[in-house]
Amino acid sequence: MDAATEAHALQRNARWPSWRGGLGHAGRILLGAIFLFSGIAKGLTPSEFTQQVAGYGILGPRLTALAAPALIVFEIVLGVALVCAVRPVLTAGASIVLLLIFIGIEAYGLSAGRTEACGCFGAYSSRTPAEVIGEDLLFVLLGAIAIWGSRGWEGLRAGGAGAVLVASLLISTAFVVASPSLPFFNIPVITRLAPGAVLADLKLEKRLPALAEGRHLVALFDVTDARAAGIATTLNALAATQGAPPILGLTPSTEQEIDAFLWTAVPAFEVKRIDREVIPVLYRRLPRFFLVDSGRVTAVYDGAPPEAKDLL
Amino acid sequence: MMLDMASLRTIRLLPVLALALAATSPALADAIVCKPNYDYSVEVDGSYPKNATLYQAASPGMYYVDVPACKTGLLMDMKARKVVAVPREQIKQVDGGLQMNDTAPPTATAYALAVDGPFVQFQAEDKKVRILRCLDRPPIVGAVEMDTLVADRPEYREGMREYAPKGESIAALNKYTKKVQIDAFFATWCPHCKEYMPKFLRVVSEVKNPNIKVNLYGVPKGFTQAPGPWQGRNINSIPTIIVKIDGREITRMGSQPGAVPETELADIFGAVR
Repeated sequence: MDAATEAHALQRNARWPSWRGGLGHAGRILLGAIFLFSGIAKGLTPSEFTQQVAGYGILGPRLTALAAPALIVFEIVLGVALVCAVRPVLTAGASIVLLLIFIGIEAYGLSAGRTEACGCFGAYSSRTPAEVIGEDLLFVLLGAIAIWGSRGWEGLRAGGAGAVLVASLLISTAFVVASPSLPFFNIPVITRLAPGAVLADLKLEKRLPALAEGRHLVALFDVTDARAAGIATTLNALAATQGAPPILGLTPSTEQEIDAFLWTAVPAFEVKRIDREVIPVLYRRLPRFFLVDSGRVTAVYDGAPPEAKDLL
Repeated sequence: MMLDMASLRTIRLLPVLALALAATSPALADAIVCKPNYDYSVEVDGSYPKNATLYQAASPGMYYVDVPACKTGLLMDMKARKVVAVPREQIKQVDGGLQMNDTAPPTATAYALAVDGPFVQFQAEDKKVRILRCLDRPPIVGAVEMDTLVADRPEYREGMREYAPKGESIAALNKYTKKVQIDAFFATWCPHCKEYMPKFLRVVSEVKNPNIKVNLYGVPKGFTQAPGPWQGRNINSIPTIIVKIDGREITRMGSQPGAVPETELADIFGAVR
Protein backbone atom coordinates (compact mmCIF):
# COMPACT_ATOMS: atom_id res chain seq x y z
CA MET A 1 0.00 0.00 0.00
CA ASP A 2 1.51 3.45 -0.97
CA ALA A 3 1.64 6.36 1.44
CA ALA A 4 -1.38 8.16 -0.09
CA THR A 5 -3.57 5.11 0.03
CA GLU A 6 -2.44 4.31 3.56
CA ALA A 7 -3.16 7.85 4.63
CA HIS A 8 -6.62 7.60 3.03
CA ALA A 9 -7.31 4.33 4.79
CA LEU A 10 -6.21 5.74 8.11
CA GLN A 11 -8.38 8.78 7.58
CA ARG A 12 -11.37 6.62 6.70
CA ASN A 13 -10.81 4.41 9.69
CA ALA A 14 -10.53 7.43 11.87
CA ARG A 15 -13.96 8.62 10.67
CA TRP A 16 -15.54 5.23 11.45
CA PRO A 17 -17.15 5.08 14.82
CA SER A 18 -15.30 2.67 17.11
CA TRP A 19 -18.56 0.83 17.84
CA ARG A 20 -18.80 -0.19 14.20
CA GLY A 21 -15.40 -1.80 14.33
CA GLY A 22 -16.28 -3.36 17.66
CA LEU A 23 -19.46 -4.86 16.23
CA GLY A 24 -17.50 -6.15 13.28
CA HIS A 25 -14.97 -7.83 15.57
CA ALA A 26 -17.73 -9.29 17.72
CA GLY A 27 -19.59 -10.66 14.72
CA ARG A 28 -16.42 -12.08 13.21
CA ILE A 29 -15.20 -13.74 16.39
CA LEU A 30 -18.63 -15.11 17.31
CA LEU A 31 -19.21 -16.50 13.83
CA GLY A 32 -15.70 -17.96 13.82
CA ALA A 33 -16.28 -19.63 17.18
CA ILE A 34 -19.55 -21.10 15.93
CA PHE A 35 -17.89 -22.53 12.83
CA LEU A 36 -15.01 -23.87 14.89
CA PHE A 37 -17.27 -25.53 17.44
CA SER A 38 -19.54 -26.92 14.77
CA GLY A 39 -16.64 -28.28 12.75
CA ILE A 40 -14.99 -29.91 15.76
CA ALA A 41 -18.33 -31.44 16.87
CA LYS A 42 -18.80 -32.98 13.44
CA GLY A 43 -15.15 -34.05 13.37
CA LEU A 44 -15.62 -36.11 16.53
CA THR A 45 -17.83 -38.54 14.58
CA PRO A 46 -17.19 -37.91 10.90
CA SER A 47 -19.00 -41.14 9.99
CA GLU A 48 -22.22 -39.81 11.51
CA PHE A 49 -21.91 -36.58 9.57
CA THR A 50 -21.28 -38.57 6.39
CA GLN A 51 -24.51 -40.46 7.09
CA GLN A 52 -26.37 -37.18 7.45
CA VAL A 53 -24.99 -35.82 4.19
CA ALA A 54 -25.87 -39.08 2.46
CA GLY A 55 -29.39 -38.75 3.80
CA TYR A 56 -30.02 -35.74 1.59
CA GLY A 57 -29.59 -37.92 -1.47
CA ILE A 58 -27.84 -35.15 -3.40
CA LEU A 59 -24.44 -36.81 -3.84
CA GLY A 60 -23.67 -40.43 -4.55
CA PRO A 61 -21.96 -42.57 -1.91
CA ARG A 62 -18.40 -42.02 -3.18
CA LEU A 63 -18.77 -38.27 -3.47
CA THR A 64 -20.42 -38.15 -0.06
CA ALA A 65 -17.52 -40.05 1.49
CA LEU A 66 -15.18 -37.35 0.15
CA ALA A 67 -17.37 -34.30 0.51
CA ALA A 68 -18.41 -34.81 4.13
CA PRO A 69 -14.89 -34.86 5.66
CA ALA A 70 -13.82 -32.06 3.30
CA LEU A 71 -16.72 -29.96 4.53
CA ILE A 72 -15.68 -30.54 8.15
CA VAL A 73 -12.11 -29.47 7.40
CA PHE A 74 -13.32 -26.40 5.52
CA GLU A 75 -15.62 -25.42 8.38
CA ILE A 76 -12.79 -25.66 10.95
CA VAL A 77 -10.34 -23.73 8.76
CA LEU A 78 -12.95 -21.05 8.13
CA GLY A 79 -13.64 -20.80 11.85
CA VAL A 80 -9.93 -20.39 12.64
CA ALA A 81 -9.53 -17.85 9.85
CA LEU A 82 -12.42 -15.78 11.19
CA VAL A 83 -11.21 -15.87 14.78
CA CYS A 84 -7.63 -15.01 13.79
CA ALA A 85 -8.81 -12.25 11.42
CA VAL A 86 -7.32 -13.70 8.26
CA ARG A 87 -8.66 -11.41 5.51
CA PRO A 88 -11.78 -10.79 7.61
CA VAL A 89 -14.02 -9.47 4.84
CA LEU A 90 -13.15 -12.34 2.52
CA THR A 91 -13.55 -15.05 5.15
CA ALA A 92 -16.82 -13.55 6.40
CA GLY A 93 -18.00 -13.52 2.80
CA ALA A 94 -16.95 -17.15 2.36
CA SER A 95 -18.84 -18.08 5.52
CA ILE A 96 -21.99 -16.42 4.18
CA VAL A 97 -21.65 -18.33 0.92
CA LEU A 98 -21.24 -21.59 2.86
CA LEU A 99 -24.26 -20.81 5.02
CA LEU A 100 -26.37 -20.03 1.98
CA ILE A 101 -25.38 -23.38 0.50
CA PHE A 102 -26.43 -25.08 3.76
CA ILE A 103 -29.73 -23.21 3.69
CA GLY A 104 -30.30 -24.29 0.11
CA ILE A 105 -29.63 -27.91 1.00
CA GLU A 106 -31.94 -27.78 4.03
CA ALA A 107 -34.65 -26.17 1.93
CA TYR A 108 -34.23 -28.94 -0.62
CA GLY A 109 -34.45 -31.48 2.18
CA LEU A 110 -37.56 -29.79 3.52
CA SER A 111 -39.26 -30.02 0.14
CA ALA A 112 -38.07 -33.46 -0.87
CA GLY A 113 -38.03 -35.25 2.47
CA ARG A 114 -34.61 -36.27 3.72
CA THR A 115 -32.31 -38.14 6.03
CA GLU A 116 -34.24 -41.12 7.29
CA ALA A 117 -37.06 -41.83 4.95
CA CYS A 118 -39.77 -41.11 7.51
CA GLY A 119 -38.52 -37.56 8.02
CA CYS A 120 -36.71 -38.06 11.32
CA PHE A 121 -33.47 -36.21 11.78
CA GLY A 122 -29.80 -37.07 12.24
CA ALA A 123 -27.53 -37.42 15.23
CA TYR A 124 -26.67 -33.73 15.47
CA SER A 125 -29.99 -32.38 14.51
CA SER A 126 -32.82 -32.93 16.90
CA ARG A 127 -34.28 -29.84 15.25
CA THR A 128 -36.55 -29.50 12.22
CA PRO A 129 -35.16 -28.23 8.88
CA ALA A 130 -37.09 -24.99 9.41
CA GLU A 131 -35.32 -24.43 12.72
CA VAL A 132 -31.94 -25.17 11.14
CA ILE A 133 -32.65 -22.69 8.33
CA GLY A 134 -33.68 -20.04 10.84
CA GLU A 135 -30.48 -20.59 12.77
CA ASP A 136 -28.35 -20.37 9.63
CA LEU A 137 -30.03 -17.11 8.67
CA LEU A 138 -28.98 -15.65 12.02
CA PHE A 139 -25.41 -16.73 11.28
CA VAL A 140 -25.65 -15.05 7.87
CA LEU A 141 -26.60 -11.89 9.72
CA LEU A 142 -23.50 -12.26 11.92
CA GLY A 143 -21.40 -12.62 8.78
CA ALA A 144 -22.96 -9.50 7.31
CA ILE A 145 -22.18 -7.58 10.51
CA ALA A 146 -18.61 -8.86 10.39
CA ILE A 147 -18.21 -7.62 6.80
CA TRP A 148 -19.85 -4.27 7.55
CA GLY A 149 -17.66 -3.70 10.60
CA SER A 150 -14.41 -4.93 9.04
CA ARG A 151 -14.47 -3.16 5.69
CA GLY A 152 -11.14 -1.61 4.90
CA TRP A 153 -9.30 -3.63 7.51
CA GLU A 154 -6.80 -6.16 6.22
CA GLY A 155 -6.59 -8.14 9.41
CA LEU A 156 -3.64 -10.46 10.02
CA ARG A 157 -0.58 -9.76 7.91
CA ALA A 158 0.06 -12.00 4.88
CA GLY A 159 2.80 -14.13 6.44
CA GLY A 160 0.86 -14.76 9.60
CA ALA A 161 -2.34 -15.39 7.68
CA GLY A 162 -0.69 -17.99 5.49
CA ALA A 163 0.80 -19.75 8.48
CA VAL A 164 -2.57 -19.83 10.25
CA LEU A 165 -4.32 -21.23 7.21
CA VAL A 166 -1.74 -23.91 6.52
CA ALA A 167 -1.52 -24.95 10.16
CA SER A 168 -5.31 -25.13 10.60
CA LEU A 169 -5.67 -27.08 7.35
CA LEU A 170 -3.07 -29.64 8.39
CA ILE A 171 -4.33 -30.01 11.96
CA SER A 172 -8.00 -30.22 11.02
CA THR A 173 -7.32 -32.77 8.28
CA ALA A 174 -5.30 -34.90 10.69
CA PHE A 175 -8.06 -34.55 13.28
CA VAL A 176 -10.83 -35.66 10.92
CA VAL A 177 -8.81 -38.59 9.62
CA ALA A 178 -7.62 -39.76 13.04
CA SER A 179 -10.65 -39.03 15.24
CA PRO A 180 -12.39 -42.41 14.77
CA SER A 181 -9.22 -44.11 16.05
CA LEU A 182 -8.49 -41.81 18.95
CA PRO A 183 -9.42 -43.64 22.14
CA PHE A 184 -9.86 -40.71 24.45
CA PHE A 185 -12.93 -39.27 22.78
CA ASN A 186 -15.12 -41.60 24.77
CA ILE A 187 -14.26 -39.61 27.89
CA PRO A 188 -17.11 -38.16 29.98
CA VAL A 189 -16.42 -34.60 28.86
CA ILE A 190 -17.40 -35.51 25.32
CA THR A 191 -20.02 -38.16 25.95
CA ARG A 192 -22.31 -38.47 28.96
CA LEU A 193 -21.73 -42.17 29.44
CA ALA A 194 -19.76 -42.60 32.63
CA PRO A 195 -20.22 -44.35 35.98
CA GLY A 196 -22.93 -42.55 37.90
CA ALA A 197 -24.92 -41.42 34.88
CA VAL A 198 -28.64 -42.21 35.00
CA LEU A 199 -30.91 -43.16 32.14
CA ALA A 200 -32.30 -39.64 31.82
CA ASP A 201 -28.74 -38.31 31.33
CA LEU A 202 -28.30 -40.76 28.48
CA LYS A 203 -31.70 -40.04 26.88
CA LEU A 204 -32.62 -43.66 27.49
CA GLU A 205 -35.26 -43.23 30.21
CA LYS A 206 -38.20 -43.32 27.80
CA ARG A 207 -36.52 -45.30 25.08
CA LEU A 208 -35.43 -48.24 27.27
CA PRO A 209 -37.51 -48.14 30.46
CA ALA A 210 -36.66 -51.79 31.19
CA LEU A 211 -33.12 -50.70 32.13
CA ALA A 212 -34.53 -48.90 35.16
CA GLU A 213 -34.95 -52.19 37.00
CA GLY A 214 -32.37 -54.81 37.79
CA ARG A 215 -28.89 -55.18 36.34
CA HIS A 216 -28.16 -55.14 32.63
CA LEU A 217 -25.10 -55.23 30.45
CA VAL A 218 -25.57 -52.95 27.47
CA ALA A 219 -23.37 -53.53 24.44
CA LEU A 220 -22.95 -50.65 21.99
CA PHE A 221 -21.56 -51.93 18.73
CA ASP A 222 -21.92 -51.72 14.99
CA VAL A 223 -23.36 -54.97 13.69
CA THR A 224 -21.72 -54.35 10.31
CA ASP A 225 -18.28 -54.12 11.91
CA ALA A 226 -15.93 -56.99 11.10
CA ARG A 227 -15.59 -57.56 14.87
CA ALA A 228 -19.35 -57.92 15.42
CA ALA A 229 -19.43 -61.72 15.08
CA GLY A 230 -16.59 -62.05 17.61
CA ILE A 231 -18.36 -59.67 19.98
CA ALA A 232 -21.52 -61.77 19.65
CA THR A 233 -19.59 -64.94 20.49
CA THR A 234 -18.09 -63.36 23.60
CA LEU A 235 -21.42 -61.94 24.70
CA ASN A 236 -23.15 -65.27 24.08
CA ALA A 237 -20.66 -66.91 26.43
CA LEU A 238 -21.35 -64.20 29.01
CA ALA A 239 -25.09 -64.69 28.59
CA ALA A 240 -24.65 -68.37 29.38
CA THR A 241 -22.71 -67.62 32.59
CA GLN A 242 -24.76 -68.22 35.69
CA GLY A 243 -25.42 -65.02 37.59
CA ALA A 244 -24.56 -62.75 34.67
CA PRO A 245 -27.03 -59.93 34.02
CA PRO A 246 -29.19 -59.94 30.90
CA ILE A 247 -27.50 -58.40 27.88
CA LEU A 248 -28.95 -55.84 25.52
CA GLY A 249 -27.24 -54.90 22.27
CA LEU A 250 -27.67 -51.36 20.92
CA THR A 251 -26.50 -50.48 17.44
CA PRO A 252 -26.73 -47.50 15.08
CA SER A 253 -27.12 -49.90 12.16
CA THR A 254 -30.30 -50.17 10.14
CA GLU A 255 -33.03 -52.70 10.86
CA GLN A 256 -31.98 -54.67 7.79
CA GLU A 257 -28.37 -54.80 8.96
CA ILE A 258 -29.56 -55.97 12.37
CA ASP A 259 -31.53 -58.77 10.76
CA ALA A 260 -28.57 -59.89 8.69
CA PHE A 261 -26.54 -59.98 11.91
CA LEU A 262 -29.23 -61.90 13.78
CA TRP A 263 -29.46 -64.60 11.14
CA THR A 264 -25.70 -65.08 10.82
CA ALA A 265 -24.17 -64.35 14.23
CA VAL A 266 -27.14 -65.86 16.14
CA PRO A 267 -26.79 -63.70 19.25
CA ALA A 268 -28.19 -64.95 22.53
CA PHE A 269 -29.33 -61.44 23.40
CA GLU A 270 -31.68 -58.87 22.00
CA VAL A 271 -30.30 -56.27 19.60
CA LYS A 272 -32.10 -52.97 19.16
CA ARG A 273 -31.51 -50.05 16.92
CA ILE A 274 -30.32 -46.94 18.66
CA ASP A 275 -31.93 -43.63 17.89
CA ARG A 276 -29.51 -41.30 16.10
CA GLU A 277 -30.32 -38.54 18.54
CA VAL A 278 -28.80 -40.62 21.34
CA ILE A 279 -25.53 -41.47 19.60
CA PRO A 280 -23.47 -38.38 20.58
CA VAL A 281 -24.56 -38.86 24.20
CA LEU A 282 -23.29 -42.42 24.37
CA TYR A 283 -20.15 -42.77 22.30
CA ARG A 284 -17.67 -41.50 19.77
CA ARG A 285 -15.99 -44.82 19.12
CA LEU A 286 -17.35 -48.35 19.17
CA PRO A 287 -17.56 -50.92 20.62
CA ARG A 288 -18.50 -49.79 24.08
CA PHE A 289 -20.17 -51.64 26.94
CA PHE A 290 -21.71 -50.48 30.16
CA LEU A 291 -23.33 -52.00 33.22
CA VAL A 292 -26.58 -50.53 34.45
CA ASP A 293 -27.98 -51.23 37.88
CA SER A 294 -31.47 -49.92 38.66
CA GLY A 295 -31.12 -47.27 36.00
CA ARG A 296 -27.66 -46.05 37.00
CA VAL A 297 -24.42 -46.75 35.13
CA THR A 298 -21.96 -48.57 37.38
CA ALA A 299 -19.14 -49.35 34.95
CA VAL A 300 -18.09 -48.58 31.39
CA TYR A 301 -15.81 -50.72 29.22
CA ASP A 302 -14.27 -49.50 25.99
CA GLY A 303 -13.14 -51.71 23.14
CA ALA A 304 -14.05 -55.12 24.54
CA PRO A 305 -16.79 -56.67 26.67
CA PRO A 306 -16.15 -57.12 30.39
CA GLU A 307 -15.03 -60.46 31.68
CA ALA A 308 -17.44 -62.75 33.45
CA LYS A 309 -15.85 -62.05 36.82
CA ASP A 310 -16.63 -58.35 36.40
CA LEU A 311 -20.31 -59.14 36.05
CA LEU A 312 -20.85 -61.49 38.96
CA MET B 1 -30.85 -92.33 64.27
CA MET B 2 -31.44 -96.00 63.56
CA LEU B 3 -33.55 -96.92 60.54
CA ASP B 4 -35.76 -99.99 60.46
CA MET B 5 -35.68 -102.54 57.60
CA ALA B 6 -38.80 -101.12 55.95
CA SER B 7 -37.27 -97.65 55.73
CA LEU B 8 -34.02 -99.06 54.37
CA ARG B 9 -35.90 -100.97 51.65
CA THR B 10 -37.73 -97.78 50.74
CA ILE B 11 -34.49 -95.84 50.50
CA ARG B 12 -32.96 -98.50 48.22
CA LEU B 13 -35.99 -98.31 45.96
CA LEU B 14 -35.87 -94.52 45.55
CA PRO B 15 -33.46 -94.43 42.59
CA VAL B 16 -35.55 -97.04 40.79
CA LEU B 17 -38.69 -95.03 41.41
CA ALA B 18 -37.00 -91.87 40.11
CA LEU B 19 -35.99 -93.60 36.89
CA ALA B 20 -39.49 -94.92 36.41
CA LEU B 21 -40.96 -91.46 36.89
CA ALA B 22 -38.53 -89.96 34.42
CA ALA B 23 -39.42 -92.55 31.82
CA THR B 24 -43.13 -91.92 32.09
CA SER B 25 -43.28 -88.14 32.50
CA PRO B 26 -43.16 -85.84 29.44
CA ALA B 27 -39.65 -84.89 28.25
CA LEU B 28 -40.01 -81.30 29.54
CA ALA B 29 -36.24 -80.80 29.73
CA ASP B 30 -36.07 -81.25 25.93
CA ALA B 31 -39.06 -79.05 25.12
CA ILE B 32 -38.79 -75.87 23.12
CA VAL B 33 -41.19 -73.10 24.02
CA CYS B 34 -41.68 -70.47 21.35
CA LYS B 35 -43.41 -67.11 21.56
CA PRO B 36 -44.76 -65.29 18.51
CA ASN B 37 -42.51 -62.54 17.15
CA TYR B 38 -44.59 -60.06 15.19
CA ASP B 39 -41.58 -57.97 14.16
CA TYR B 40 -41.20 -60.48 11.33
CA SER B 41 -43.57 -61.53 8.58
CA VAL B 42 -43.84 -64.88 6.85
CA GLU B 43 -44.15 -64.62 3.10
CA VAL B 44 -45.45 -67.74 1.35
CA ASP B 45 -45.21 -67.86 -2.44
CA GLY B 46 -45.28 -64.06 -2.58
CA SER B 47 -48.27 -63.50 -0.34
CA TYR B 48 -48.78 -63.07 3.37
CA PRO B 49 -51.29 -65.59 4.70
CA LYS B 50 -53.18 -64.21 7.67
CA ASN B 51 -52.07 -66.72 10.29
CA ALA B 52 -48.57 -67.40 9.00
CA THR B 53 -46.44 -66.56 12.03
CA LEU B 54 -42.83 -66.68 13.15
CA TYR B 55 -42.31 -67.91 16.70
CA GLN B 56 -39.05 -67.35 18.52
CA ALA B 57 -37.62 -69.82 21.04
CA ALA B 58 -35.61 -68.91 24.11
CA SER B 59 -32.69 -70.85 22.63
CA PRO B 60 -30.75 -68.51 20.37
CA GLY B 61 -31.20 -69.23 16.69
CA MET B 62 -34.28 -71.45 17.07
CA TYR B 63 -37.55 -70.40 15.48
CA TYR B 64 -40.81 -72.07 14.62
CA VAL B 65 -42.55 -71.06 11.42
CA ASP B 66 -46.25 -71.74 11.23
CA VAL B 67 -47.47 -71.82 7.63
CA PRO B 68 -51.14 -72.87 7.77
CA ALA B 69 -51.02 -74.27 4.25
CA CYS B 70 -48.18 -76.64 5.16
CA LYS B 71 -49.05 -80.07 6.55
CA THR B 72 -46.29 -79.85 9.16
CA GLY B 73 -44.85 -77.18 11.36
CA LEU B 74 -41.36 -75.92 10.51
CA LEU B 75 -38.61 -75.69 13.11
CA MET B 76 -35.89 -73.34 11.89
CA ASP B 77 -32.39 -73.83 13.31
CA MET B 78 -30.18 -70.90 12.31
CA LYS B 79 -27.01 -72.44 13.75
CA ALA B 80 -27.48 -75.63 11.73
CA ARG B 81 -28.91 -73.64 8.81
CA LYS B 82 -31.80 -75.99 8.32
CA VAL B 83 -35.56 -76.26 8.70
CA VAL B 84 -37.03 -79.45 10.11
CA ALA B 85 -40.60 -80.56 9.63
CA VAL B 86 -42.42 -81.10 12.92
CA PRO B 87 -45.70 -83.06 12.95
CA ARG B 88 -48.45 -80.76 14.10
CA GLU B 89 -49.65 -83.28 16.65
CA GLN B 90 -46.36 -82.77 18.50
CA ILE B 91 -47.01 -79.07 18.92
CA LYS B 92 -48.93 -77.93 21.96
CA GLN B 93 -50.42 -74.56 22.76
CA VAL B 94 -48.98 -73.18 25.96
CA ASP B 95 -49.37 -69.85 27.67
CA GLY B 96 -49.10 -67.35 24.82
CA GLY B 97 -46.97 -69.63 22.67
CA LEU B 98 -46.21 -73.12 21.44
CA GLN B 99 -44.25 -76.04 22.86
CA MET B 100 -42.57 -78.86 21.01
CA ASN B 101 -39.69 -81.29 21.41
CA ASP B 102 -36.33 -80.11 20.22
CA THR B 103 -35.34 -83.63 19.23
CA ALA B 104 -36.70 -84.35 15.78
CA PRO B 105 -37.54 -87.94 14.86
CA PRO B 106 -34.87 -89.48 12.59
CA THR B 107 -37.31 -89.64 9.69
CA ALA B 108 -38.21 -85.93 9.86
CA THR B 109 -37.87 -84.04 6.62
CA ALA B 110 -35.24 -81.32 6.64
CA TYR B 111 -34.92 -78.40 4.26
CA ALA B 112 -31.88 -76.22 3.67
CA LEU B 113 -32.27 -72.54 4.28
CA ALA B 114 -30.44 -69.57 2.85
CA VAL B 115 -29.69 -66.21 4.39
CA ASP B 116 -29.80 -63.33 1.94
CA GLY B 117 -28.88 -60.21 3.90
CA PRO B 118 -31.88 -59.48 6.12
CA PHE B 119 -34.00 -62.29 4.65
CA VAL B 120 -34.17 -66.00 5.38
CA GLN B 121 -35.64 -68.20 2.70
CA PHE B 122 -36.31 -71.84 2.18
CA GLN B 123 -38.58 -74.16 0.29
CA ALA B 124 -40.83 -76.50 2.23
CA GLU B 125 -43.55 -78.74 0.78
CA ASP B 126 -43.18 -76.96 -2.58
CA LYS B 127 -43.83 -73.62 -0.98
CA LYS B 128 -41.33 -70.79 -1.11
CA VAL B 129 -41.13 -69.31 2.32
CA ARG B 130 -39.36 -66.11 3.17
CA ILE B 131 -38.90 -64.52 6.57
CA LEU B 132 -38.54 -60.77 6.52
CA ARG B 133 -39.01 -57.86 8.86
CA CYS B 134 -42.63 -56.68 8.82
CA LEU B 135 -41.39 -53.20 7.93
CA ASP B 136 -40.04 -54.59 4.66
CA ARG B 137 -43.38 -55.88 3.43
CA PRO B 138 -45.01 -53.99 0.56
CA PRO B 139 -46.59 -50.98 2.26
CA ILE B 140 -50.24 -50.16 2.67
CA VAL B 141 -50.81 -47.03 0.60
CA GLY B 142 -53.82 -44.75 0.59
CA ALA B 143 -56.97 -44.63 2.69
CA VAL B 144 -57.42 -47.74 4.80
CA GLU B 145 -60.05 -48.85 7.27
CA MET B 146 -58.82 -49.74 10.72
CA ASP B 147 -60.25 -53.26 10.56
CA THR B 148 -58.43 -53.92 7.30
CA LEU B 149 -55.16 -52.55 8.65
CA VAL B 150 -55.35 -54.56 11.83
CA ALA B 151 -56.27 -57.75 9.99
CA ASP B 152 -53.37 -57.34 7.59
CA ARG B 153 -50.70 -56.29 10.08
CA PRO B 154 -50.31 -58.54 13.14
CA GLU B 155 -47.61 -56.24 14.55
CA TYR B 156 -50.25 -53.49 14.83
CA ARG B 157 -52.80 -55.92 16.22
CA GLU B 158 -50.44 -57.11 18.94
CA GLY B 159 -49.27 -53.61 19.71
CA MET B 160 -52.89 -52.58 20.23
CA ARG B 161 -53.49 -55.55 22.49
CA GLU B 162 -50.46 -54.74 24.64
CA TYR B 163 -51.29 -51.06 25.11
CA ALA B 164 -53.53 -50.01 27.98
CA PRO B 165 -54.82 -46.44 27.53
CA LYS B 166 -55.57 -44.32 30.56
CA GLY B 167 -59.21 -44.63 31.49
CA GLU B 168 -59.73 -41.03 32.55
CA SER B 169 -58.39 -39.75 29.22
CA ILE B 170 -60.66 -42.11 27.28
CA ALA B 171 -63.59 -40.91 29.36
CA ALA B 172 -62.73 -37.30 28.55
CA LEU B 173 -62.57 -38.10 24.83
CA ASN B 174 -65.95 -39.84 25.00
CA LYS B 175 -67.57 -36.79 26.57
CA TYR B 176 -66.35 -34.27 24.02
CA THR B 177 -69.22 -32.62 22.18
CA LYS B 178 -67.56 -30.74 19.31
CA LYS B 179 -67.13 -32.27 15.84
CA VAL B 180 -63.66 -33.73 15.50
CA GLN B 181 -61.93 -35.06 12.42
CA ILE B 182 -58.59 -36.78 12.80
CA ASP B 183 -56.51 -37.58 9.72
CA ALA B 184 -53.65 -39.94 10.52
CA PHE B 185 -50.82 -40.29 8.01
CA PHE B 186 -48.49 -43.17 8.72
CA ALA B 187 -46.43 -45.86 6.99
CA THR B 188 -46.23 -49.57 7.53
CA TRP B 189 -42.53 -49.34 6.63
CA CYS B 190 -41.77 -46.78 9.33
CA PRO B 191 -40.40 -48.03 12.71
CA HIS B 192 -41.71 -44.95 14.53
CA CYS B 193 -45.20 -45.58 13.17
CA LYS B 194 -44.96 -49.22 14.21
CA GLU B 195 -44.34 -48.07 17.75
CA TYR B 196 -46.86 -45.23 17.86
CA MET B 197 -49.78 -46.22 15.65
CA PRO B 198 -50.88 -49.31 17.62
CA LYS B 199 -51.23 -47.08 20.69
CA PHE B 200 -53.18 -44.54 18.70
CA LEU B 201 -55.38 -47.23 17.14
CA ARG B 202 -56.08 -48.76 20.53
CA VAL B 203 -57.26 -45.37 21.72
CA VAL B 204 -59.43 -44.96 18.62
CA SER B 205 -60.95 -48.39 19.15
CA GLU B 206 -61.88 -47.56 22.75
CA VAL B 207 -63.39 -44.16 22.06
CA LYS B 208 -67.10 -44.53 21.24
CA ASN B 209 -67.84 -40.87 20.56
CA PRO B 210 -69.88 -40.40 17.35
CA ASN B 211 -68.55 -36.82 17.11
CA ILE B 212 -65.04 -38.09 16.45
CA LYS B 213 -64.17 -39.37 12.99
CA VAL B 214 -60.79 -40.89 12.23
CA ASN B 215 -59.33 -41.36 8.75
CA LEU B 216 -56.23 -43.46 8.22
CA TYR B 217 -53.85 -42.98 5.30
CA GLY B 218 -50.87 -45.17 4.53
CA VAL B 219 -48.03 -43.38 2.71
CA PRO B 220 -45.38 -44.90 0.43
CA LYS B 221 -41.64 -44.35 0.64
CA GLY B 222 -40.71 -41.04 -0.94
CA PHE B 223 -44.19 -39.83 -0.07
CA THR B 224 -43.22 -36.15 -0.22
CA GLN B 225 -42.87 -36.49 -3.95
CA ALA B 226 -45.53 -39.12 -4.62
CA PRO B 227 -49.13 -38.18 -5.49
CA GLY B 228 -51.74 -39.01 -2.91
CA PRO B 229 -54.01 -37.63 -0.19
CA TRP B 230 -50.94 -36.42 1.72
CA GLN B 231 -50.08 -33.93 -1.04
CA GLY B 232 -50.81 -30.32 -0.25
CA ARG B 233 -51.20 -31.08 3.46
CA ASN B 234 -47.62 -30.16 4.44
CA ILE B 235 -46.83 -33.67 5.62
CA ASN B 236 -43.04 -33.80 6.04
CA SER B 237 -42.67 -36.58 8.55
CA ILE B 238 -44.66 -39.54 9.75
CA PRO B 239 -46.65 -40.34 11.69
CA THR B 240 -48.54 -37.07 11.43
CA ILE B 241 -51.93 -36.93 13.10
CA ILE B 242 -53.91 -33.86 12.02
CA VAL B 243 -56.60 -32.84 14.50
CA LYS B 244 -59.45 -30.68 13.25
CA ILE B 245 -62.19 -29.40 15.52
CA ASP B 246 -65.32 -27.93 13.93
CA GLY B 247 -63.56 -27.97 10.57
CA ARG B 248 -60.50 -26.01 11.72
CA GLU B 249 -57.05 -27.57 12.04
CA ILE B 250 -56.02 -27.22 15.66
CA THR B 251 -52.76 -29.10 15.93
CA ARG B 252 -50.70 -32.03 14.69
CA MET B 253 -49.52 -34.93 16.78
CA GLY B 254 -46.54 -37.12 16.09
CA SER B 255 -44.50 -39.80 17.74
CA GLN B 256 -42.13 -39.09 20.62
CA PRO B 257 -40.49 -41.60 22.93
CA GLY B 258 -43.04 -42.45 25.62
CA ALA B 259 -45.94 -40.77 23.79
CA VAL B 260 -49.39 -41.16 25.36
CA PRO B 261 -51.85 -40.36 22.54
CA GLU B 262 -55.03 -40.49 24.63
CA THR B 263 -53.68 -37.95 27.10
CA GLU B 264 -52.42 -35.73 24.33
CA LEU B 265 -55.80 -35.81 22.61
CA ALA B 266 -57.64 -35.19 25.87
CA ASP B 267 -55.44 -32.15 26.51
CA ILE B 268 -56.12 -30.84 22.99
CA PHE B 269 -59.85 -31.25 23.41
CA GLY B 270 -59.68 -29.70 26.86
CA ALA B 271 -58.03 -26.61 25.41
CA VAL B 272 -60.76 -26.16 22.77
CA ARG B 273 -64.15 -25.92 24.45
